Formats: sequence, structure tokens, C-alpha cells
Amino acid sequence: MKKYLLYSLLAATTFIGSCSKDTTMAETNLAQKMIQDKAWFLDYSQTGTLTKTYVGQATYYINFLKNLTTQDSDGLNGSYSVEKVSGQLQIHVQAKTSNGNPIEYIYDIVSVGSENLILSYTITGKTTQLYYTSKR
Amino acid sequence: MNYVKRISIALILIHLSNIIYAQKLTQKQQDRLYLKQPGSEAAQKLKKNFSSSWNKTFVNFTDNSTNLLAGMNFSNQGITAAGFNSSFNYNISDNSTVGYKPGYFAGFRVDGLYKDKRNYSFQVSINKIATANNYKDAKSLTPFLGSFSNFKADDQFLNLSMAMHYKKLLAISDTSKYHFYFVLGPSLDTRLSGQSADNLVNNNYARFLLRSDVGFEFENKNFYTLFLHYKQGLTSFTKSPIKTNVNSFELGMMIKASDLF
Repeated sequence: MKKYLLYSLLAATTFIGSCSKDTTMAETNLAQKMIQDKAWFLDYSQTGTLTKTYVGQATYYINFLKNLTTQDSDGLNGSYSVEKVSGQLQIHVQAKTSNGNPIEYIYDIVSVGSENLILSYTITGKTTQLYYTSKR
Repeated sequence: MNYVKRISIALILIHLSNIIYAQKLTQKQQDRLYLKQPGSEAAQKLKKNFSSSWNKTFVNFTDNSTNLLAGMNFSNQGITAAGFNSSFNYNISDNSTVGYKPGYFAGFRVDGLYKDKRNYSFQVSINKIATANNYKDAKSLTPFLGSFSNFKADDQFLNLSMAMHYKKLLAISDTSKYHFYFVLGPSLDTRLSGQSADNLVNNNYARFLLRSDVGFEFENKNFYTLFLHYKQGLTSFTKSPIKTNVNSFELGMMIKASDLF
């Protein structure tokens, strides 16, 4: 009996080790969870070697809510989604200005954490990185 | 009409002969016939061959006794992850702790003699491990980000652990009553628990963890055994380029299964 118990355990170990694999494709869900239900305050922006700091000032902020809606300090309201396009995580925002004009933009997510968020966008070959923090 | 009578008589005779035949068989034989399943002969044959090959292979392992064991473990995880990149950042200060965190384990162990000379043991246990995570390096992106890592170490694991020990009896105290052993051997952990969402993204954790197991044991007049082991990680619990060493102290007690059951 003892022998068969050992055999069973060895077989179970081999089975578990060989065929189970954890779920992948959880990246967008994790990024979504990290950014949602927080106000993200812009602390720095950097274009090339030019860095602007907004620390200690009244600055731009944006909220990403759990129900996939967004609003920012400029009065934009709309929806957002976290996507992965060509291996790059992105935030896709579709919103309306306070005047009702539609606006759409996509930022690349350089790095996302529960307290720090780095986004980037490129216009006419110039890349700007935006450094946000959820702590104020 | 005659034809029907003949068939009825034939059926009655067949039934009576069945009853007589059944009475000749023992109860055990009847049970066997009743319980006989398709393929049972093949299974019996396989079982016999398996037992035979096991006994031939492990002929040198004798005088075996089975023990039940349980105890507490204290673990930490040393992390080197500066070479790892991902889209996620984690503040080191929020995720790093010093020292060891407690967990627990339970299982069984077979103790015996190898070639009638050397004491050995083979242990199988389920280990619930909680680790204090110690980051040995960090990244920073001043002035924007302080110390951070792109890897967030998990701190809860459920492992199936198997260990093989060589036991050396130490000449301490009265060895007719008390036995002190020095034990040494390899240990293989198989992670049964899943990974956190943070590590699921890149499937960072490995399934197996090989550790060396060294310790002292005190056996009190065959009543019980107390032991203290230290397990040092030999392989990383995470995939390259992240390196994590999981080290544990295990403090436990063991009693013979035959004393309980």
C-alpha cells in the first residue's frame, strides 16, 4: 500500500509539472487594474532633452474609472480602453470636450504601476513622455 | 404442447445445475466471479510486474518505517531582477521585507536502511510557504521614479516537496535512548499554486525548485523525532533573467504512523 501511495505521488508530480500551464494574456487586465479608480497627476513631461516639471503646482490630472469612463482636469469626458497593439500597451481615449466636440487620442504605456504611470506619444517625429503619479 | 413441456423441463434442469455448481464454489470464488471487471486480469498482471520490478530496483532499501510529520517553516526569497524588463513598475519599498515569514507543512516520511548500513529517509510533504521578499538590486529613473523593479515577487506558494536524506548518527548522549542525526540531501519542490496576476503576464515562476536540505534531528526513544532543517535554493524559482533564491528553515515533529493507526 505504501508503495502505491509513493507511485501515485510521483505520478501526480510529473503530471502537474508536465501539463499545467498558467494563463497568459493577462497584461491588459493587469494594466487596467493598476490605473483604474485613481486620479493621475502629471508631474513631469519630457520632449527630447527638455523636461518640464509640475511638481508642487496645480497641474493636469486624469481619472480612469472602473466602468471604463474617463474625465480630466481640462473638462474632457468619455471612455477609454487599454489595448495591446503590435506588442505595445496603449491607452485609447475617446472623449468630448466641454463644448461637445469629439476628441480621440492614443498614448503608449511605457510603464505602469500602482503609483507611477509613464505614457508617451509622438507628433511629427518628436516623442514626448508624460510622468504621472497617483500620490498627491 | 409437448414441445413447450420439453423446453420447460430443460430450463428447470439448467437452473438446478447452476444452483449445484454455485454451491460447489466457495463464497470467495463467487465474489471474485461477481466482481470480475473487464481488464482486471491485465491490471493484476501489471500490478504483479510493477511490484516485482520495484522490489528488484529497491532491494537495497530495507527496515523501512513510515512516519507522519508536521511543522512550521520560515522562508525568505532573495531577488535579483535588474536585468528584467516589463511594462510594469513596482516600488521596492512597498514590496520588500526583511527576515523570514512563517508557513507550515505536513506529510509523511519513510525512514530505513540503505544496504543494511546507511540510514536514509524519503520525505513527501505539502508546504505552504510565505516568503519575506528581499530585493538585492533596483532600478531608478530619477527624478521621475525612485527605486523600483519591473518584477513583483510572489510571497505565497503551495508546494509539493520531496526530499531524500542521508542520515548520520551522531555520538551524542546515550545512543541507546536518544538518537541525534545529521541529515543531508536534495529536495525538489513542485509549485502547485498559481501565480499572481503580476507574474502571470510573463509566466515568471518556474514549476520546480531544487534545494539542498541539511539539518539536525533528535529521536527520543522511538517515541517521536524533533527536527530542524535548512533548505537552501540551488536553482532559481523564477525564469531567467530574474533570479530568486528561496531559502527556508523547517522546524517540525515526526511520529511513527504505526503508533497512530
